[in-house]
Amino acid sequence: MNTLLKIEYQKIKFYRTFWIFLGLYLLILLLVFLSVQLFLDWLAEKGEQIENIDPSKIPLLQFPDIWHNITWIAGLFKIVPAIFVIISITNEITFNTLRQNIIDGLSRRDFLISKIWLIVILSAVSTVFLFLIGLIFGLIYTPSPEFNDILLYSFFLIAHFFEVFLYLIFTFFLGLLIKRTGLTMGLLLLYTYVIEPIITFRIKTDWITGLFPVKAINNLIRFPFKKYALREIQDYVAWQDAGIALFYIILLISLIYLVLKKRDL
Amino acid sequence: MKSTISIQNLTKYYGRIHAVENLSLDIPDKSVFGLLGPNGSGKTTTLGMILDVVIPSSGNYLWFGSPNKKANRQRIGSILETPCFYPYLSAANNLKIIADIKQCSYNNIDKTLALVGLYERKSDKFKTFSLGMKQRLAIASALLCDPDVLVLDEPTNGLDPQGIAEIRNIIKQIAQHGKTVLLASHLLDEVQKVCTHFGVLHHGKLIYNGKVNEVSGEEYWVEVASDNLLELEDKLKKYPHQHSVRSENEKLAVLLTEKSNIKDLSAYLYEHKIIPTHLFARRKNLEQQFLDILNQSENEYASQN
Ligand SMILES: Nc1ncnc2c1ncn2[C@@H]1O[C@H](COP(=O)(O)OP(=O)(O)O)[C@@H](O)[C@H]1O
Ligand SMILES: [Mg+2]
Repeated sequence: MNTLLKIEYQKIKFYRTFWIFLGLYLLILLLVFLSVQLFLDWLAEKGEQIENIDPSKIPLLQFPDIWHNITWIAGLFKIVPAIFVIISITNEITFNTLRQNIIDGLSRRDFLISKIWLIVILSAVSTVFLFLIGLIFGLIYTPSPEFNDILLYSFFLIAHFFEVFLYLIFTFFLGLLIKRTGLTMGLLLLYTYVIEPIITFRIKTDWITGLFPVKAINNLIRFPFKKYALREIQDYVAWQDAGIALFYIILLISLIYLVLKKRDL
Repeated sequence: MKSTISIQNLTKYYGRIHAVENLSLDIPDKSVFGLLGPNGSGKTTTLGMILDVVIPSSGNYLWFGSPNKKANRQRIGSILETPCFYPYLSAANNLKIIADIKQCSYNNIDKTLALVGLYERKSDKFKTFSLGMKQRLAIASALLCDPDVLVLDEPTNGLDPQGIAEIRNIIKQIAQHGKTVLLASHLLDEVQKVCTHFGVLHHGKLIYNGKVNEVSGEEYWVEVASDNLLELEDKLKKYPHQHSVRSENEKLAVLLTEKSNIKDLSAYLYEHKIIPTHLFARRKNLEQQFLDILNQSENEYASQN
């Protein structure tokens, strides 16, 4: 096994907090997807209508729509693995284990790569889990699944991988700068859910708001549900959105490398 | 003689603070080198720089004559200040990470833990350890991959006397195996007991560098006390075989020339009707030398600023 991956794995293998966060994240996703159909059925039973449509007839969890829908929903919960990334990074700083790792013989670049491995693991687990959920739920809820439909929109899984990956890299950067666990968590939540939404809400102009990091991350998978009200949606990943995301990945990793390189540990 | 590390003009500024200034030093192969200095004199900063975690303001250093820093660090066993481990991992699992980083096998783990007396606790989490055990685990981690050099920063800090003795024994054993040891300490006694060479750091400058046995010379100090210290001091100053006399709370210390010894001195005192209440010979040891060097440097430092 790759040495740096192995080192990172040694750090989390017996770390109970890691397994709690991972389990919590997957459990939340599972519960949310389980309740989606129940919620729609419950609405239908009460005779409610969404824009004149019977809610239970909305093909939320059916092929091929399911991939876009579940990857968008899962994107709401990427804060959970992000909090674990904060813990991992700020722990390395407060326990002085980052310094000790370097003293023992890792290079600063090695350390960066080992943490990128952690982020790849988290993003990959999330993606694989969504793939399995999508497949199982799709087969259950699609009345007569057509083979060609099953994987039609599955490229959203790749978009999901990059969405989580980029958000966790962003989190890595924040943790490295701020150093303190609680403070980083507070600032990440504040920035993601208050500061950036307010700024982008004021600016309104799409191409400008799309340049802000969290918006750029979320733009990879656009809001899907408007289509059930028969409105136009973007059911693909636009080239410019992917470009901006790639730009952020390169920028943030370079900045992290620079901070690690220049900082006294 | 070959040098394990050769340091040239190493300097570190923290804003206005000159933590280390123009430090040049060669540490001979297979020596046990003590870097001695009071708190804040720049020992940790120096070690941090040569271990690549503190970025020097200027100057350079070369380990093993090789510029490959990462490979060099893998050959060094080191602890800087407090032991740093993952608190939620067991002793053995912490050492596995170090073995992976240094690219050596896990086979040494049990043996090394046994060496520092932690074998029975190998499955216990680091956070459950006492300070002494943490320190011993740090020593174990430094020894794990059979390093060519040990770099230890205040390795006995915060330990009880038994723990201190244990750690010193381990260091001596390692030195006997022909390894180079670089030990930073503010404790003279420690350096004198384990080191072959030492350097003194003061306000970031290296103000002395030499062998330990060179300074434990032949001249020696004798402590004397009597009921009348003033009279005693007067008589001691008139004693022909003395270099100097100084008062050290409630007693006097006299530095004898090589021509004299404690017997002659006491005979001289009896002759002048002085009955000592305290008479004690101490060799002019490293401590004396150290204090003298520091005093001299402090005076120079004060006159410069
Ligand atoms: N990160 C830092 N920022 C600012 N000053 C520092 C820092 N680290 C050390 N110093 C200062 O540098 C000087 C040397 O410190 P240090 O190397 O820790 O000394 P020692 O290990 O000999 O006690 C001290 O004056 C200390 O306050
Ligand atoms: Mg120190």
